[in-house]
Amino acid sequence: MQKDLAKVRNIGISAHIDSGKTTLTERVLFYTDRIHAIHEVRGKDGVGAKMDSMELEKERGITIQSAATYCSWKDHSINIIDTPGHVDFTIEVERALRVLDGAVLILCSVGGVQSQSITVNRQMTRYKVPRVVFINKCDRTGANPERVTTQVREKLGLNAVMMQIPIGLEGDLEGVIDLVKMKAIYFDGDNGEKIREEEIPANLLDDATVKREEMLDAVSMFSDELMEAILEGEPTEKMIKEAIRKGTLALELAPVFMGSAYKNRGVQCLLDAITMYMPNPMDIRNVALDLRNDEQELVLTSKSEDPLVCLAFKLEDGRYGQLTYIRIYQGHLKKGDTIINSRTGKKVKIGRLVRMHADEMEEIDESGAGDIVALFGVDCASGDTFTSSDISYSMSSMHVPNPVISLAIIPVDNKSQGNMSKALNRFTKEDPTFRTYVDHETNETIVSGMGELHLDVYIERMKREYGAEVKVGAPQVAYRETITQRAEFNYSHKKQTGGSGQFGRVGGYMEPLAEGEYEFVDNIVGGVIPREFISSCDKGFRKSLEKGALAEFPVNGVRCVINDGAAHAVDSSDIAFQLAAIGAFKEGYKKANPVLMEPIMKVAVEGPTEFQGGIMGSLNQRRGIIIGTLEEGEYTAVEAEVPLSEMFGYSTVLRSLTQGKAEFTMEFSDYKQVPRNVAENLIEDLRKKKKEQGK
Amino acid sequence: MLKEDLILKNPLRVLSPADQGKTEGPRMGLVMSRAGLGKTAILVQIALDSMLRGNKVLHVSIGQSLEKTKIWYDDIYWDIAKAGNLERAAEIQEELMSQRMIMTFNEESFGVAKLRERLRDLIEQNIFQPDCLLVDGFDCSISPEKVLAQMRDFAKGLNINIWFSAVCHRNDDRVSKSGVPAPCHEADALFDTIILLQPDAEKKCVALNIIKRDGETGGSRPSLTLDPSTLLILEN
Repeated sequence: MQKDLAKVRNIGISAHIDSGKTTLTERVLFYTDRIHAIHEVRGKDGVGAKMDSMELEKERGITIQSAATYCSWKDHSINIIDTPGHVDFTIEVERALRVLDGAVLILCSVGGVQSQSITVNRQMTRYKVPRVVFINKCDRTGANPERVTTQVREKLGLNAVMMQIPIGLEGDLEGVIDLVKMKAIYFDGDNGEKIREEEIPANLLDDATVKREEMLDAVSMFSDELMEAILEGEPTEKMIKEAIRKGTLALELAPVFMGSAYKNRGVQCLLDAITMYMPNPMDIRNVALDLRNDEQELVLTSKSEDPLVCLAFKLEDGRYGQLTYIRIYQGHLKKGDTIINSRTGKKVKIGRLVRMHADEMEEIDESGAGDIVALFGVDCASGDTFTSSDISYSMSSMHVPNPVISLAIIPVDNKSQGNMSKALNRFTKEDPTFRTYVDHETNETIVSGMGELHLDVYIERMKREYGAEVKVGAPQVAYRETITQRAEFNYSHKKQTGGSGQFGRVGGYMEPLAEGEYEFVDNIVGGVIPREFISSCDKGFRKSLEKGALAEFPVNGVRCVINDGAAHAVDSSDIAFQLAAIGAFKEGYKKANPVLMEPIMKVAVEGPTEFQGGIMGSLNQRRGIIIGTLEEGEYTAVEAEVPLSEMFGYSTVLRSLTQGKAEFTMEFSDYKQVPRNVAENLIEDLRKKKKEQGK
Repeated sequence: MLKEDLILKNPLRVLSPADQGKTEGPRMGLVMSRAGLGKTAILVQIALDSMLRGNKVLHVSIGQSLEKTKIWYDDIYWDIAKAGNLERAAEIQEELMSQRMIMTFNEESFGVAKLRERLRDLIEQNIFQPDCLLVDGFDCSISPEKVLAQMRDFAKGLNINIWFSAVCHRNDDRVSKSGVPAPCHEADALFDTIILLQPDAEKKCVALNIIKRDGETGGSRPSLTLDPSTLLILEN
């Protein structure tokens, strides 16, 4: 274990799908001697890249779960989290960003900044992650790193500054010119492992000089010393590097590097940049909440001698039980230590401590602040904080979106039934955006998540990893109901069936609640409803929220106010008032003009300009509202808001519409009212379905 | 304040006193100034006023990103809503957004022919039928008269109001008889309304010099300024 924290880097690799993240990580592992041969993502050798350890990832050529690995480069320890590029899995990206100190944003030199890069960049900004940019695939036809750098400035709003220029492009890519050192760098050997520094070729010298001046102009903003040195003569390499680091850590500069991971060009320079310009754990301000002191925020020290604070950011079902990835923020952790889960208060003994290298692991005895390691056999949920017994801190919670789509799954046989529950138990612990419940009416198991692909992947994993074969129902959108106007209620519940009867009267009103799901207000005066039955009214209203009277979807955004009622000395009870509140809700709800709400997705479609009209038409047909379009030469992007229910099967439609040349991403945006005619059809369909189920 | 009051009290009403806020026959307007004085802010306020009156607006932004343009709208809308203490502001904003579409082009990609093609796509497929077209960031530097005349005919044909922004330069002293600076000095006859933004060093604000209004030049003009902090148009 490296003791010197200044030489530790916790880095994420994030970018648009297919921009070459996994390929780049594979090269990094090769050059840092973690692996001894390179396997391509969709390589013919069938081995697959190291970081794509799940079978499914290897087959699809995409990274689904972020695998953690570590390597050393020039005296520095680097922990790398490889993160998925598809927007359906952004919880993985967000979790990774939460525990990382810096990130490499990879962009394709042909495709440039695409919608997913914008999402990822927004997430990095949210978690204040300093970043360096790597423009990959400079060997591809149409590569233009300068254009991509401009896009980073314009579309991502980053102060992107080129630190290198390419020597040749497309098929002629030979190496890069380092604008700080003013040297040409070539990558020789079968795998580009031999670095050769030369003088800059004469034909590129003028361009390099101009670009260096631009770089110095931008970088000198972060160092008075450098600015003076530039005015007086030649600044030193050290001064420039210090200024770049300062600007990067302040999130005011994004140094841009380039190359081609696939052709083994430029990766070692990126590794140098990570060690030089990315923050070490001490550079970052991490805060926790003190649970013993009214959740007061306090800054963690990054010192190994202080009490332990670490965060479980990822769980995996390994070969030997649950594997918990943790980031240690403060203190140190030793094999045999007892630590406390601050959510449950339970003591946990550390049996095995390992450092992860994709799906292989290396046993270690201890680990200190700033490190990312994994624990074995610790029962916890993702996002839990562990501390030493003398403190009770919790790391601030992560932003977790609610699921927007659900599917019914039915196991095909008894064996699958058991395996399915095991799998679901595991997945819901691993991924907070993946949820499951049993619909008591249909007795079906329902899984819900962030998109079609998200659920698709879990169903595949269920089959492959747990041997659970399931039949899958049609995807269902998570509709909601809400009210649009204030309505009064005054309902009496009376029942006389021999023995003690039931009586309760609840009066008041309900009104729309702008923010939040539900609010209960007790305005009862004079004890017309006895105190002990007030909570019964609340319970009754809450039960009513589970299924709205309109189409049996959950009701949201309602404030229920009670201001009148009556009770009976003998016949009133908890259940009587619950039933009275349910009756009152029903009565008020009908008058409060209830409406259906549906999830609206922010959809971004990108493709060649010639298809812009068709793309817009296809979104318009799906009740989409086009927010805007962007046109740059032959490339166009259309941004729209479209109801999720209309987006099923869109990938097939888009493929045939654009000859497979366009792609789209979507993420949840908001809930909006379903247009009246659509809502009527929907309610009618549901009624029919129910009738059939009844038969 | 209610939405209707906001429309009536909008300082932009002085630009066409005759119609009192109703949309009449297609007009062409121009906002000119040196760089960085607030042309986009004026165009966005013209757009928001039009949207509040129930019109659909197509905002063509040349050289500026979609995200940035959206931020302009959000910021200015909320400043207007706050200043006017607008009721149901969030709800109204949501309604307005469905009346707006933004098209962004980089400088090299933009052309009148292309814009015409895009508009035709929108209208023929019944995706978006604008009542008002704003073109922000149009390059007027090389004799723009011909292109502007084409745009005017084209907008007339579709019965769309159209507004342009253009940059003038301190070191170019060419100016039309009515006071329109280069590079639009020879195209002033094409516009019904022309606003020139001029910094007022004394009052430390930007004044809106209404050179032409409803096709008329000369005569007395109401005095409008831009609030330097919010960039909202104020009536003096």
